[in-house]
Amino acid sequence: MSIKTLILIIINSLIALVIALLSFSSYQEFSNVLNDRVLQQLNSIKTLKKNQIEHLIKSEWEKFESADLYNQNIDSAVLILPDSIKNRNGIHDFTTYHIDKKTTIGFVSKSKKGTKIKILEYNKIKKILFERTGMGNSGESYLVGKDFRLRSQSRFYPNQTPNALSVKAENVAKAFKGINGRGVFDDYRGIDVYSVSSLIEIPNLNMVILSEIDVDEVTMPLKKLKERLVSLTLAIFLLAVIISLFLTRIITNPIKNMQKSLRIMAEGDYNQTNEFIKNSDEIKEMFEALANLKVALQGAVKFANDIGLMNLNTDYQLKSSNDLLGKSLLAMRDKLIEFRNNEENARILSKRMLVNSLENERRRLSRELHDGVGPYLTSLKHYIENKVENELKKTEMKKIVDDTIAEIRLMSNALMPSSIDDFGIGITLTNFIESVKKSTTVTIEYEDLTQQDNSKITNHQAINLFRISKELINNSLKHAKAKNIRITLSEFDDFISLFYYDDGIGFDISTVKLGLGINNIKERVEICNGKIEINATPGKTTFEIELPVEL
Amino acid sequence: MNEIKIIIADDHQLFRNGLEELLRKYDDIKIVKSVADGFEFMQLAKSQLEVDIVLLDIAMPNMDGFQVLKELKTLDSNIKPIVISMHSDGNYIAKCAKMGAFGYLLKNTDESELILAIRTVNKGKKYFSAAIAEKMINFMSTQSVSENLLSNKETEVLGLISKGLTTNEIATKLFVSSRTIETHRANILKKLEVKNTAELIKRAAEMNLI
Repeated sequence: MSIKTLILIIINSLIALVIALLSFSSYQEFSNVLNDRVLQQLNSIKTLKKNQIEHLIKSEWEKFESADLYNQNIDSAVLILPDSIKNRNGIHDFTTYHIDKKTTIGFVSKSKKGTKIKILEYNKIKKILFERTGMGNSGESYLVGKDFRLRSQSRFYPNQTPNALSVKAENVAKAFKGINGRGVFDDYRGIDVYSVSSLIEIPNLNMVILSEIDVDEVTMPLKKLKERLVSLTLAIFLLAVIISLFLTRIITNPIKNMQKSLRIMAEGDYNQTNEFIKNSDEIKEMFEALANLKVALQGAVKFANDIGLMNLNTDYQLKSSNDLLGKSLLAMRDKLIEFRNNEENARILSKRMLVNSLENERRRLSRELHDGVGPYLTSLKHYIENKVENELKKTEMKKIVDDTIAEIRLMSNALMPSSIDDFGIGITLTNFIESVKKSTTVTIEYEDLTQQDNSKITNHQAINLFRISKELINNSLKHAKAKNIRITLSEFDDFISLFYYDDGIGFDISTVKLGLGINNIKERVEICNGKIEINATPGKTTFEIELPVEL
Repeated sequence: MNEIKIIIADDHQLFRNGLEELLRKYDDIKIVKSVADGFEFMQLAKSQLEVDIVLLDIAMPNMDGFQVLKELKTLDSNIKPIVISMHSDGNYIAKCAKMGAFGYLLKNTDESELILAIRTVNKGKKYFSAAIAEKMINFMSTQSVSENLLSNKETEVLGLISKGLTTNEIATKLFVSSRTIETHRANILKKLEVKNTAELIKRAAEMNLI
């Protein structure tokens, strides 16, 4: 479910709930108040009418009592009064005795002077009852007799004898018991009405007065209110939906943009530069955080790229202590450095082993020639000395052997001078240079500043220094057209320095590497953990080689 | 007539045999023993065996010729060693001479010279042929070991410092690296027990070094 739908549902259901509750409770309140008011008003009308009727009847009664006119002024054709009634003083309901059951209230007064009977003029009561101020359209007040039949004219059935209409309402029964009834009941028409009732307090009369008004009329404004509330609710709800739609768009658009950005980043592109509308602080901060994330990732990507290109000197600042990516990359870099160093070491080691085995082989061959073949040849010479009689032949043969021995010496020396093992590099170079000088016109000056007795130069270093010097001299003689060569080999407490100079034509370091065996020289310096600096300008070529004294 | 009693010390059987056969022709020379290495020879040297001369090879297993020369010297033996080696380089010759060898012969030396050497040495004289002596002297001439406080190189550097040359200028002049000169300079300061150039010049002048 999208965030938009979610917000819409939540906001709108909340709003709907609030409106519904408010409407319902206000409706309820209003309806209660209305009920109360209506009943109160009815009550006061009923009370007024009851008092009026009571007053009317009582005053009529007093008038009747005080009158001296003793007659039984009744139409006996329509009203048949039993004697029991005639003998009882007081106000009576004669309706039941009327042939047509027409409402009749009569006074009976029996004294020594005689019996007086008078029928109360019904119109007077009717006038009171029909007074409809404050009764609305459907309001009416009416009297009910003991037999639960109407005693007053119904407004709604003007042509019907009241007695024909009977009321079974609860509050009528209540009223006869002397309790004032109030509430909503069915009236004689079978319609819901607000109804209040009470007994007319005149002895013997036994009549109840009711004031009623139709529920429908009373609740008319309530219905209108209800309708209005419903339409208001709908209007508010509609408004709420529209507003929340607008709001969610404001909220969700940046989120959608963010989502889009993140999706692009998830595809591995950290260089997108989309500008978005940032309509709140939070969203601004969110985009700033996204921008920071982008920068951080770009940094990491750049770093990773550098590592990938084996630029292992690049450093990376961790973004925080939780920067796992950064940490991993740093660990990777460190591992790569370690691997590279190991590889470098292994490379140098294998090169060193290769050179060592080559040198060992040369040494073995050199010794074999010098100390193996040499003595055999001397033995041959002894043999010639001892066995050959012919002096001429002897001399000739001895010369051949001597020449061979001399050649063997040269070969042995060329392979590896035994002086290296027996006397060290200083003297070996001296011997070598002395022998070179014999076959060249180039001036070679060699200065041996190595320690004679306690030299710390190892045999391995000595051999490599010898090969390097030989290569350099060879280059100068063969290619450089040099007139002068100066070589200084100095040994100090902590390093050995071989300084080589010639005044030849020089060479281009970047192009002439291979032909001059400079690579070979560099490799030999490298396997001795040394440093080399080459300056090759015409007239002044120098090689500064420095090896550490190995403890 | 006294015979010259000789021991041959060489690890090559064939060479020893040839040499023995060659020397046998001479009545005044007697080969007492022939051994294959220096250790074996030293056993004999320490014994009561009467020996005048040892024909000593340098390259031998167990104990080489140099070691033998050294031990003979400490033993204060009467045996006079003549080195007979394949090595023709001056440094070998010089070293052997320095270590007390009475003569130095190449293995392919002619018979006549061998005999001459033996007889000369037997008289208590040293024998180095003209060619051998030349090789030795040539080598020794290249060696410049200073007996002074400062080495020759250091004296040279000191001289240039006193003339006011910078380290780089001195390096260029002496055909060494700047670091070499710096190290030389530091070593000179240390040897003369001074802390800076000004003090160095003063002290060097006092000591007549410049």
